[in-house]
Amino acid sequence: MEFQVPTINILLIAPAAIVAGWGVLLMLIELFISDEAQEQWRQIVPGLALVGLALAFIQTVGLWGYDGGTFILADGHPMIVVDNFATFLNIIFLLTGALTIFISVDFLRRTGLERPEFYMLMLFSISGMMLMGMANDLILVFLALELLSIPLYIMSGLAWPRTDSEESAMKYFLLGAFSSGFLVYGIALTYGATGTTQLPGVMAGIANGGSLALAGAALLLVGFAFKVAAVPFHMWTPDVYQGAPTAVTAFMSVGAKVGGFAAMLRILIIALPGLGDVWAPALAVLSALTLIVGNVVALVQPNIKRMLAYSSIAHAGYILIAVASAPASPDGVSAALFYMFAYLFSNMGAFAVVIAIERKTNEGVMLDDYKGLAKRHLGLALAMAFFMLSLTGVPPTGGFSGKFFVFKAAIEANLIWLTIVGVITSAISGYYYLRVVYTMFMQDGDGEVAAPEALKWTVGFAVLVTAVLGFIPGPWFDIARQAALQGMQMVAGG
Amino acid sequence: MIEQIIFIVISLFTLMMGWIVVSNNNLFHAALALMASFLGVAGLYVMLDAGFLAMAQLLVYIGAISILIIFAIMLTRRMMQTEESPFNSQPGLAGITAVSVFAVIAFIFWQMREFWPLGAGEGAMPPADKSIILGSVAKLGEYFVSPDAFVLPFEVASVMLLAALIGSIWVAWPKTEDES
Amino acid sequence: MIPLSWYLLVAAALFSIGLYGVLARRNAVAILMGVELMLNAVNINLVAFWRYGRFPEQPVGLAWAVFVLTVAAAEAAVGLALIISIYRHRDSVVAEEMDTLKN
Repeated sequence: MEFQVPTINILLIAPAAIVAGWGVLLMLIELFISDEAQEQWRQIVPGLALVGLALAFIQTVGLWGYDGGTFILADGHPMIVVDNFATFLNIIFLLTGALTIFISVDFLRRTGLERPEFYMLMLFSISGMMLMGMANDLILVFLALELLSIPLYIMSGLAWPRTDSEESAMKYFLLGAFSSGFLVYGIALTYGATGTTQLPGVMAGIANGGSLALAGAALLLVGFAFKVAAVPFHMWTPDVYQGAPTAVTAFMSVGAKVGGFAAMLRILIIALPGLGDVWAPALAVLSALTLIVGNVVALVQPNIKRMLAYSSIAHAGYILIAVASAPASPDGVSAALFYMFAYLFSNMGAFAVVIAIERKTNEGVMLDDYKGLAKRHLGLALAMAFFMLSLTGVPPTGGFSGKFFVFKAAIEANLIWLTIVGVITSAISGYYYLRVVYTMFMQDGDGEVAAPEALKWTVGFAVLVTAVLGFIPGPWFDIARQAALQGMQMVAGG
Repeated sequence: MIEQIIFIVISLFTLMMGWIVVSNNNLFHAALALMASFLGVAGLYVMLDAGFLAMAQLLVYIGAISILIIFAIMLTRRMMQTEESPFNSQPGLAGITAVSVFAVIAFIFWQMREFWPLGAGEGAMPPADKSIILGSVAKLGEYFVSPDAFVLPFEVASVMLLAALIGSIWVAWPKTEDES
Repeated sequence: MIPLSWYLLVAAALFSIGLYGVLARRNAVAILMGVELMLNAVNINLVAFWRYGRFPEQPVGLAWAVFVLTVAAAEAAVGLALIISIYRHRDSVVAEEMDTLKN
């Protein structure tokens, strides 16, 4: 057999490879750390993990504007694609990871959960998320999803032997394994209908696939609906988010959700545009259900983490509006991307404040614990109020701009009824978000607030970005627009 | 004709064992039925001329996963024999869901039975000639290491396995109060 | 000759049996066994589609089946580790009894 020089552009896969490789490297180093040095090692691991993320970030930003793929298969389609869509999402994932590290270092130390493996598993999970955005082949989507999920199952059980954390891990695992069963069945049927697993090939073959292709697409959607926690596949979310340590909840409420949407968008837009008139209405119905259930159930939650869990379900609904309008509106995908970017900062910021209030694991997470926060720590209270306004969608915040673009895309796609549902549910959501603000400013209470420097800086940064996205959304939306997938056009180029 | 009889026997065996797995209230018996069901699936692979995969099925599913499950059952043995119902509060709803999923998928397959491969026109197609798939195992091996095939998924799978291994050791390691 | 649809029907039946197991059983180990049945059903599909498909000379379906096998093994390892860890503290792995999180 003759030897061929492999035609791989290693720079393109570098961001994900750096993150995964950095995790392996840290694990190897840990083998050689003596027992005496363990304490120092624990101190520096978060910093080292951040260095890995920063290296990957530099490489990712450098790839902005690049449009191409590597690991080119025999028939000319690349296995992974690096375009602005992937780069934009990679930036979201790396920022999620970095913010999580900043808010969790002190929290994990304070609650006695600090273990170096936490950061290594997180790096693996981030590399899975990044591959979700870049994957151009269903095989890779499936494996990336597992690489994303398996570390998360373990991280949600981080606070063992606390029963709530273990329960959270168990439920997340069972539902995750179950949903990947659906996903992989859907992929198998798609493979049967089209004879290939590459997204461009699927697009070419789907027209002849008949009802088999439809069944495959439906099962794929069910699998992703579980991952992004859309109603009626959301049952696991509140328990998992509430039970997991708050740092992990923050990480998965953004990372896992955006990861699910990343693969969903690429598959729907690149591989299944031909079935658009079937999946778009289905997603619109799913989105309406998600909005209604998420926002209404959140009204009665006395536990902040559980309330934020339902709120994250509701936000999946808003992103789904944008996805559902993608076939008929040119700005559907960019609205989804912008929304996810704004959601990252509002949600991460809100969880940072939750972490500051939380004294021990899962203690101090009730609404009552926020009484009088304005008197105890005005800065945090103001920041929390700002994040709540952003999540509600009040101007001038990033959340408002995100909702504005999503509804605009929905109107362009003639989904007027869905827009109305979205606006009404946003108004409903104001009640439970603003209740937090009311509790913080109008009621009296006491309690410790743990706000170390790293957390304050993170909160400040999140406030800043949320405000910038609120005051001058235009340039940012243009970036999201450059990152949006243009369906058919992409295929021709790729 | 004989081939079809063998197929029917193997499939019925697989499905019956599968049914025992989900309905028997002795978990240990269920795990043994799971092994038998895996064996039946390996038989189907042999009928599909995928001998390599049948071996992998024997090694991984029967040799490793089933044994792991049996270990877990024995380590948590108090729940092995129980007089309680093996079902949760909603077996009826679960049954309806499962039957309707089967009905929908089976209906689709039934519709397509005369059109295979898709787009090729009428008439059920026989499987490809054996000479075509000769050496597919060697090709599979090449696929896993060639950059113009599946080397990337292969590497991703290995990182995933590493994460799963580290994670499971971390989770299942005995935890004492003074360890930290 | 065995028509492709026979294999697909057997796989669909096995998938539905596994689905029933996941939805109806109380015990976490039993739920995991249901998931394994579902993944096996998917593998039958993949191999059958490869054998009867348009490109039998490319063993893509086989490669897929190997990846699914790998994932099943990884999931089983993680799941059983979680199950054993939980059992240590509460002598039960009945999924229904895990309800400390309901308000």
